Amino acid sequence: MAKPKAGAGGAKPGSGSAAPAPAPGDDGGEIEMGDDAGSGSGSGSASGEGEIDMGAEDTPKEGDLNADLAADGGDGTDKPVKGDAPAPKLGDYQLSWRDIVTVIRKPFLKLKRTELRAMAGTTMNDNIVRHYAFGGELSYYLTDVLAIGLEGQYYQHQFREPFDLVARQARRLPTVNQYNFSGALNFHYVPVYGKFAVLDKKIVTWEVAFTAGIGALQSEVVPRDKRFGAFKSILISPNVGADMRFFLFKSLTINAGIRDYIFVDKFEPVNRSESMYPTADEAKAHADTSLINNVMFQLSVSLWLPTTFEYHTFR
Amino acid sequence: MNKHLITTLSVGLALQFAVSATPAFADDNAEPPAAAPARKPNKLDGQPAVRNRLLLVKGRAELTPLFESTINADFRHIVGGGAKLEYHFSDMFSVGVVGVFSTSIDTGLVKKIVPTLPMDHDPTKPREPTRTEFTQHLNSMPIHGAAYVSLTPWYGKLAAFSKAFVNFDFYFQAGVSFAQLKSSCDASICSDQHPGETTTNAAGDPVPPDDNPNNDAPLNNGARVGLYLAGGIHVFLKDFIALDLGVRDYAFSDNPSGADFNADLAVKKEDSRFLSHLFVGFGVSIMLPAKAKRTR
Repeated sequence: MAKPKAGAGGAKPGSGSAAPAPAPGDDGGEIEMGDDAGSGSGSGSASGEGEIDMGAEDTPKEGDLNADLAADGGDGTDKPVKGDAPAPKLGDYQLSWRDIVTVIRKPFLKLKRTELRAMAGTTMNDNIVRHYAFGGELSYYLTDVLAIGLEGQYYQHQFREPFDLVARQARRLPTVNQYNFSGALNFHYVPVYGKFAVLDKKIVTWEVAFTAGIGALQSEVVPRDKRFGAFKSILISPNVGADMRFFLFKSLTINAGIRDYIFVDKFEPVNRSESMYPTADEAKAHADTSLINNVMFQLSVSLWLPTTFEYHTFR
Repeated sequence: MNKHLITTLSVGLALQFAVSATPAFADDNAEPPAAAPARKPNKLDGQPAVRNRLLLVKGRAELTPLFESTINADFRHIVGGGAKLEYHFSDMFSVGVVGVFSTSIDTGLVKKIVPTLPMDHDPTKPREPTRTEFTQHLNSMPIHGAAYVSLTPWYGKLAAFSKAFVNFDFYFQAGVSFAQLKSSCDASICSDQHPGETTTNAAGDPVPPDDNPNNDAPLNNGARVGLYLAGGIHVFLKDFIALDLGVRDYAFSDNPSGADFNADLAVKKEDSRFLSHLFVGFGVSIMLPAKAKRTR
């Protein structure tokens, strides 16, 4: 006789009509599951008289989200159960309401967990210079949908085709700044979550998080004439964005999102020459300013600590 | 006799089957096999990931009025409206066409360059284009579109603010793009009939090229055919209405500035190169027939 799987449905082993005690709040009624083998949405299935095979061998592996989902899922034979079903016969195995999973619990909990995120990003909206950003973020989830985090990024830049074309074709040198590094204090809110099936085979859960934060960014002028010195500026930089997070394991997620870093940048004066603002300090004092929306596409991988979690509510 | 033989064979086969099907450790006194027993098959193995699922696209036509705009264009944003027509042969596979009529808006880069250019030629700066020369060499894209095949490998549900529960799917498309490019350079501006070529004058003497690409024709108009790649998401508000958000790349040969790219001081066909034209699109998909079927 197979043993019930621990925690996979709550059914008690044994034979006869020993039904589980009703859960608090239940009406105490029992459900006649009929002759359908495997009725109910749990992973258990009636297999013989007074026995229930809960599939002890199918205990989910630690950290395996798909195994958890499979354990929670039904076998596809969901049928309505009549509340006024006839009284059970001796020897019939009974299930209670609490054994029936109608809505599976969230497969990934973030409450009081720390997210360590390694990320890379690239500029989306600058046709002169493209920045590549590499960085990380440390976030703590106060609730399952609210988090506070600290991020830091290091930037590398690359001039795009128009940078050279404008110089060669229009005989104009673009005024360009490069970004060196940035940091921000961010707040995350997760209003959207869902799941999807990949090729009708594998279910992946995901969510959408909105982010708003405030931070600082170091910008550095790329002098049009290399004889003149560059100057750097530390700029206040609020940011807003949205991320999609895909849950792979209990301790690992991957993320893709867009973030808009907003700041007022200081650019090299257009009329800078040997006779006008030749030094970096003078140029900075007379810098042209402009509101910049640095929209970045970001990909990241997150490690979650602790690496696992426990549910504190009924399934 | 035959009946007896058949009966005997049947019983024999049944016994053979019973013996072979009996596990070696069925006898309590027998030793279990050294090898671990095979994993008990899970009843969910091989089953569909989702049952009783709404087939939101299979066997349906999709008509999507849409809006599109370039992302990060160099010289001119292309903004327009059009439609997408698609037929879904299965839950994952579909074919379709998309077409968009557009207008052009100068990018911030152009708006910064043009005011700094001279209105008329400065003889001391022969390579510097005038405002008219610069702007008339830029091209626009009044019509573009694609014919494609589409794969929808992901579908699912999402909950927004714990209130709205909607179906969605992700799709990926590949196909052939086409575009009608347009540039209009006045004959008085683009006056060089033989850019980069040595010609002869009336007296038969050779005339070297003027090495001025600013008076060459831009050669960046006409029809183009290229590659089309796209990805997007449907968010179903109803069984027959979905929001369609997508990113589309129409890649084909182009020279958006209409100027000399390869620094040979003349505008020629060689200045065109295979470029991505990245668009973001937003539309509302109407699925026909309006009623969706369900899986078992």
